[in-house]
Amino acid sequence: MLKPLESARWDYSTAAHLMNRAGFGGTPAEIQKLVESGLEKAVSQFVFFERIPDSTPAPDWARPDPDRLKKLAAIRQAPEPERRELQRQEQELQRQRLLELRGWWLQRMVRGPRPLQEKLTLFWHGHFATSFEKVRDAYYMWRQNELFRRLAGGNWLQLLTEAGKDPAMLIWLDQAQSRKQKPNENFAREVMELFALGEGHYTEMDVTEAARALTGWALDRENQKFVYRPRIHDAGEKTIFGKTGNFDGDDLIRMIVEQPQAAVFITGKLWNFFAGEPPSRELNTALAEEFRRGGNNLQSFLKTMFLSEAFYASSLIRSQVKSPVQWLVGSVRMLECDLPPTPVCVNLLRTLGQNLFAPPNVKGWDGGLAWINTNTLLARYNEAEVLVEADSAVLAAIAARTPAQARRAQRRLRGRPGGVNVEKILTTEERADKDTLLAALEKRLLQGKLKDKQRESLRDYLKSKGDLDESEIRGALRLIMSTPEFQLS
Amino acid sequence: MKKEITLQTRRAFLRTTVLGGALSWTVPAFLSNTFSLLQAAAADSATQVATGRDSTILVVIQMAGGNDGLNTVVPFDNDHYRRARPKIGISNSQVLKLNDQLGLHPALGGFKAMFDAGELSIIQGIGYPNPNRSHFRSTEIWQTASDSERFEKHGWIGRYFDNACDGADPTVGVNIGRQMPQAFASKSLKGVSLDNPRNYRFISSERPMAGEADMMEQSFRGLNEAEDVNAGGSIGAIGGPAIRPGGSPLEFLERTALDAQVSSEKIRALADRVENRAVYPSSQLGNSLKLVAKLIGGGLPTRIFYASQGGYDTHSGQLGAQDRLLRDLGDSVKAFADDLKAQGNMDRVMVMTFSEFGRRVAENANGGTDHGAAAPMFIVGNRIKAGLQGTYPSLAPEDLFQGDLRHTVDFRSVYAGVLEQWLRTKSEPILGRKFAAFEVL
Repeated sequence: MLKPLESARWDYSTAAHLMNRAGFGGTPAEIQKLVESGLEKAVSQFVFFERIPDSTPAPDWARPDPDRLKKLAAIRQAPEPERRELQRQEQELQRQRLLELRGWWLQRMVRGPRPLQEKLTLFWHGHFATSFEKVRDAYYMWRQNELFRRLAGGNWLQLLTEAGKDPAMLIWLDQAQSRKQKPNENFAREVMELFALGEGHYTEMDVTEAARALTGWALDRENQKFVYRPRIHDAGEKTIFGKTGNFDGDDLIRMIVEQPQAAVFITGKLWNFFAGEPPSRELNTALAEEFRRGGNNLQSFLKTMFLSEAFYASSLIRSQVKSPVQWLVGSVRMLECDLPPTPVCVNLLRTLGQNLFAPPNVKGWDGGLAWINTNTLLARYNEAEVLVEADSAVLAAIAARTPAQARRAQRRLRGRPGGVNVEKILTTEERADKDTLLAALEKRLLQGKLKDKQRESLRDYLKSKGDLDESEIRGALRLIMSTPEFQLS
Repeated sequence: MKKEITLQTRRAFLRTTVLGGALSWTVPAFLSNTFSLLQAAAADSATQVATGRDSTILVVIQMAGGNDGLNTVVPFDNDHYRRARPKIGISNSQVLKLNDQLGLHPALGGFKAMFDAGELSIIQGIGYPNPNRSHFRSTEIWQTASDSERFEKHGWIGRYFDNACDGADPTVGVNIGRQMPQAFASKSLKGVSLDNPRNYRFISSERPMAGEADMMEQSFRGLNEAEDVNAGGSIGAIGGPAIRPGGSPLEFLERTALDAQVSSEKIRALADRVENRAVYPSSQLGNSLKLVAKLIGGGLPTRIFYASQGGYDTHSGQLGAQDRLLRDLGDSVKAFADDLKAQGNMDRVMVMTFSEFGRRVAENANGGTDHGAAAPMFIVGNRIKAGLQGTYPSLAPEDLFQGDLRHTVDFRSVYAGVLEQWLRTKSEPILGRKFAAFEVL
């Protein structure tokens, strides 16, 4: 079922497919290089990412703050109106850090040396869908993000266990408030329903008993980390999945991962994320077997998946709707331009429906066709203009909340190299002739061809312009990005 | 007979507006779906095909942040109220009296006028079991109509689209705002969302001289007209087979691209053409309702509009803040109703407000109130069961739950009433189970 792709099929199209899915896409030159590496080497480059050094420094506030608890208590106890002012300052500080964090992560996706690690981090963020809206602490959000990065390709049992003990998760699903006398079932339910098994593979009784097993998992707010508190743990006997024992949280997660359904569930989700559609039942069974054979190790599973012929089925190539993050990061990579300033990126992504660190609910983003409605499609078309032109007045207006802010931002942005450098991404020959230009743009942006009628429309546009200078070429770029085809990868 | 007229009207509408002037325009999939459904004499009676001329319309207004219900519909004569609200309580000389116990917040003059005219229903004590005090979560509960401990992916309005509006135009649901509310989340991905009709379009970067064509815009159209939808090419082909559902992602995108172009044209045309006939407050809500009135007046085939007003999270300095918000709400909705009356459309519009929770009975130390539970909902219309409905929850300390009012009506009963009596569809498949339908008409 999972036999490897024949080497004869390793070409520009399949290499681009790997680059789009295991990473965030790339330029024609990068894809060509991948073709020349050969399939095995190409896949290994993506999958064994820890071999590539990544020296990205963490944001400077990304460490525990020994004074934080005291500071929060001081805010609570301050008399009015200072209390309100202090609270406002604290919120502003967190917002500022969150903004920085979003920019930091997007930059890693665009320029980082380990695309698959970042892609997996994005997958786990959607899978464990935790929102700043409830956690309200940028340090915790960063910490969770780093956890996903560190264990992106690690062991599933370890990742699931550590994700459960992660401070942001402890807050997000209320485990931090659960105690023996009053077990909170939120995490207990979601770990089975959303993270590891899926509906129908556990009973309500399992949830209740799991919540008891999990008591004692708590948040040490002073040191801002997980702590096990035996005093609030229910040490009594529980019956979960038909087994009875004196289980605790670690036992529970191990028992969940040991369920035959666990491998089916997580491999199905991984396949859907990377391949773009849910696997058939037969394929899912094969994927789960492979996963179990590898001891629930993600990295070796991913290697088999990215080598498999099934992953390169022609029905899968260029048929996945780009997520907003894929759209933004991928466009910047293809256009070889800079990410817009972070407040602009955040605004663009929010409008398209994917606000990082703020998934809409515990189920995460629906993804797939749900990214697209008439409003988000038009927004993509118009945001393409923002990327291609990077006009400082437009960027300022998007980033700002008030006209005064916009004026300040515009002054700051003036002189910033804006938009796509057409001389960088196109050779003189490609820019000399309308047909060679169109062919080069189609190859770069679509890794394929437009329909004849569409190419005709584009040619009409260029014809109406006379000479091909920068503004016409940018116009053509924006138009190709404003097609249904460009929304797929 | 009626169906005939509807179809004729719709064809005429299409010819004159959508297809007018641009014959390269083809019939988009959703219109072709709508028409094949009409021509099959609405074979499936569960399917609601809106014509934009005669169907009932629901306008949902979200009061985001958790409105303090106690100071909105004030039990001014209640001792518990006076004791719980020594600083921010509203006195009986200020309230707009509804009877000898209850009065509206003094800023709700607009609502009082509608109450007196029999156009306002106040449903008291709305909430749900095991109330959640997180804005985020409680909003989600209201939007998805789920039980407090269950998580649902789709919204209650989205499930209405899925269950009752198969094949309808995407403008069957219109949200005024940037973000689609979770209530609209649906399998069928219906509904359009726009904050400003001027931005709801492909914005060309060209500035052609007068009389010159905008080549970028023209090219954009060429790039976004899918070939297969083009096959018929004439109005005669409208009744042809609809594009198969569940096609490839590319087909879905092509179809959405066409839907976007057409709805964008329609909405902008209506926003330009239809005049408002009432004076609205110049607030965000006022502007949203102004646009909704234009779209209703222009005959957009929408069944549900959604608008929102934020700022109700009054933990401190509540008196001034809530005054400003409720005045805006009352005046905006009153203007909207006046506008619809002048259009002759008031008979088919119902407005319903909701907020994710009410607030704590006892005021806090900062002249505000903290997150609470039950609160009233308002329904506006001239065919509704007007007046005070339901039961005001008891304010006696022993009747409270952790300092909050206990609900007397589940909000899903109100949804059920609105779905069944106003939108005329079965509520059970939409709400997941049977709720006793509250009498809204």
